[in-house]
Formats: sequence, structure tokens, C-alpha cells
Amino acid sequence: MNRLLQVTALASLVFSAPLMAQDHSHHTQHGDHTDHTTMNAAEVSHSQSIYQIDALWNTHQQSSLKLSELAGTPVIISMIYGSCTTACPVLVHDAKRLYNSLDEATQKQVKLVMVSFDTARDTPEALADYAKQYNLNNNWLFLNGSEQDIRTLATVLGVRYRQRPDGDFDHSNLVSILDKHGVIAERIEGLSQPMEKPAQLVTQLAKMTVQ
Amino acid sequence: MVKWLGVAGVLFSPLILADPVLVTGGTFEPPVLLDKQRLSIEMNSFMLDATPVTNQAYLEFVSSNPRWQRDNIAALFHDGNYLKHWDNNTAFAQGKENEPVTYVSWFTAREYCAAQGGRLPSLNEWEYASMQYRQQQNISDNDYARKLFAWYSQPHSKQQTVNPNADQLMHMHDRVNEWVDDYQLLLSNGDDVDLLSGSCGDGARFMSSFTNANYATFFRYQSRSDYAPQSTTSTMGFRCAYDLENHDE
Repeated sequence: MNRLLQVTALASLVFSAPLMAQDHSHHTQHGDHTDHTTMNAAEVSHSQSIYQIDALWNTHQQSSLKLSELAGTPVIISMIYGSCTTACPVLVHDAKRLYNSLDEATQKQVKLVMVSFDTARDTPEALADYAKQYNLNNNWLFLNGSEQDIRTLATVLGVRYRQRPDGDFDHSNLVSILDKHGVIAERIEGLSQPMEKPAQLVTQLAKMTVQ
Repeated sequence: MVKWLGVAGVLFSPLILADPVLVTGGTFEPPVLLDKQRLSIEMNSFMLDATPVTNQAYLEFVSSNPRWQRDNIAALFHDGNYLKHWDNNTAFAQGKENEPVTYVSWFTAREYCAAQGGRLPSLNEWEYASMQYRQQQNISDNDYARKLFAWYSQPHSKQQTVNPNADQLMHMHDRVNEWVDDYQLLLSNGDDVDLLSGSCGDGARFMSSFTNANYATFFRYQSRSDYAPQSTTSTMGFRCAYDLENHDE
């Protein structure tokens, strides 16, 4: 398994070479993610994109996906686990509220990505059941990944979590908005937050042209 | 002259790096508790590098993984100071081969370990190994606390080498503080998440008993949890862990 991942990582290394060649921004200090709400596309730093993570995920639609494949549309992303009966349905509901506050044209562009903490129990099949149960359309993607990749993504998003002895997860409640390049544009912390401003932001992001 | 030394080191390295050492599983009583109800944890056996990863070993990693060289790394994965003490992408100053590598972020430490077929140890694994190390070396609780506080009062990872061929755990407390996979669990302050804004699991973090040794350990947890995963400093290094079933490849 490790071998396979290494080969995958190597392959992605080769394919991402042109992207890396442009990245000379390592001398600049890592910025505060919350500052990225400014809409000037020219200032977007691609090397802050979470699409730099080249892990391979399994979707609830039985396909595999790299996050970089989401580039080109704004993304609403959160992390949950399927057997969670407390905060997680609220997080899904929050993402749905945000989606429902968008106009139809924007809705068509946006993707919603729910990544599971629970690599063992949230199989693609279990996640498909979950999506069905919540009656979610094809703009939604539920992702299952390896423990290492889940930890990487959570860390990049600023989501803390740990598995409890009973198998459930303690986790931060966070919905994040990514721009078309995969840079974090907004972080909505806590449950049941107001969605008017985030909806305006997503609408603006959807109008931005991809460079 | 120094410029090509690192490359030469890769080509002609005389070092035979030691195998990781076995940390035998057993019952672990964490000095800092995450669960009020759980005072002890059953630990599985695992392998752990005997010493922190050295400049030389890290050089070999970046030489074969250009993506993680200083000029190529994406800004997402470091704070701007990644490997800043090296001369360039693939060279460091002469004589630094066996010093623990520092100015590495949590992300880059994990990439290094993954490339070796391993991973960063969990916080509990690292602390459990530290406990075994104290027993192996007959380090009393007070000596441990003294040693740790002495290091914290004047951390000096520079000019301090490790033996790359060590056959038992070494330098758990006197070279660098080390990244662990879930270092953010405790006393968090490293990012924007407001832990009291509704996140679960914020409570029940306290020492199991107030002793000098536990306080020293607590201090290690705390100093590390202030870092962002992008942080790179002169005192943070790492060593890798390996699952037993994966290690014989």
C-alpha cells in the first residue's frame, strides 16, 4: 500500500512540475488565511492552494479524485464523519444553507465537498448512503481517504480532530470556502452561522475568471 | 567547496544508517490526559528511528524528491524559513552531516517519513518511547526534568551531532524537540481555530499527577503545540515511526 502511494506521489510530482516551476514564493511569509477575502485575482498566491496536496481520494460515486481536479469552481468544503449524530448533520445542513442562499447560476458552478474523518467506517458505499439519506444532488462529493491524507487536509484547513476510544471523533466545526485555485477564501467557524456574507463571497468567487 | 559537499555526500556516503529500533507495546499512563476516564492506554509495538533525522539523511530525501527542496517547496507547506540554514537546495555546511535536521515543517517531516515507508509517531507513541528510553538509560524523574528544562532554557541543536548508527533510542531529550503527527491536540494556539467556539474535546487536558517529570513533559507538549504546521525553527526536528508489518519490506 505504501509503495502504491509512493508511486502515485511520484507520478503526481512529474505532472505537477510546470506548476512548481512558477513557485518562487517561498521567501514570503505564510499569510493569514483570513486575509484572503480580498477579491483581487492578481494577488492570489497559487502556492497557497490546498490543491498542492496530491492525495488520491475515493468519492461516494465510486471514482477516485485529486483535490486539484476541483480547480476552476468555488468549493465549499467541510470535514465530518458519517456515524456522527451530533455536529456533523448540522455541518452538512450549514453547507446546504450556504448553497441554497446562492442564485441559480452560481449554484451550478459550486461544488460541495464533505471529507470524512473515518477512513474505516465511511467507505464510499457508506458515504453514498449518507448522500442519499440527505437527498443531496450531484454538486456534492463525499470523500474517503487514508488516515495520513485526512490528517494533512485537516491541518491545512485548520480542522482539529482526534479519534476517541469509542471510535467517534472529536473535531472542530468548520466550513471553508475555496476560490477557483483552491486557496482558502473564508472559514466559517462554529455551527449554524449566518450565511449571507459567505453567500456573497461565493457569488463573487464564481464570477472570477480563472487565470 | 562547501557547495558540492552535500551532493558528494549522497554519491559516496560511507554511512550505513541504523535500522529503527523496536518499541515494545504495553500499558502507557499518559502524563497529560485527554480523557478523564482513561488513565492508561494500551500501546501497540512499533519501530522508531534511534535518533532524530540528520542533515545527511534529509539531504538524500530532497535530492531524490526535488519538490521538497528549498527553492521548490510550495508556500502552503512552510513558513518561509524552510532549511534556511543550508547553503542551497542540496548542500549544507561541512561538518553538519550528523546534526539533527532543523528548519523543517510538520508537512515536510511527514513527507520525509512517508518516503521511508514510515510516518511521524503519534504523540502517545513518542511519549511512550520517551518513557522506555528513561527506563533503559536509568534516568530518574528528577534528572529527566532537569535535563529537559536545561535544554529548554538554552536549546542548542547546532554543533551537536547524533550517532547515525545508534542501535538503541538516543537523544530523546537533549537535541531537538520533535514533530509528532497529532501535535496539535493539546493546548492549541497554532492556528485560527478558536477552541472554545464549539469544538468538541477541549476539556480534560491535565496532568495525571503533579511531579517534576510530568511538568517537564507538559512543557514539551505546550511549547510544541504553539507551532503552526508550517513552522520551521532552529530547535524543531523529528524522527520517524514505522508500523511493524510494513517494516520488513
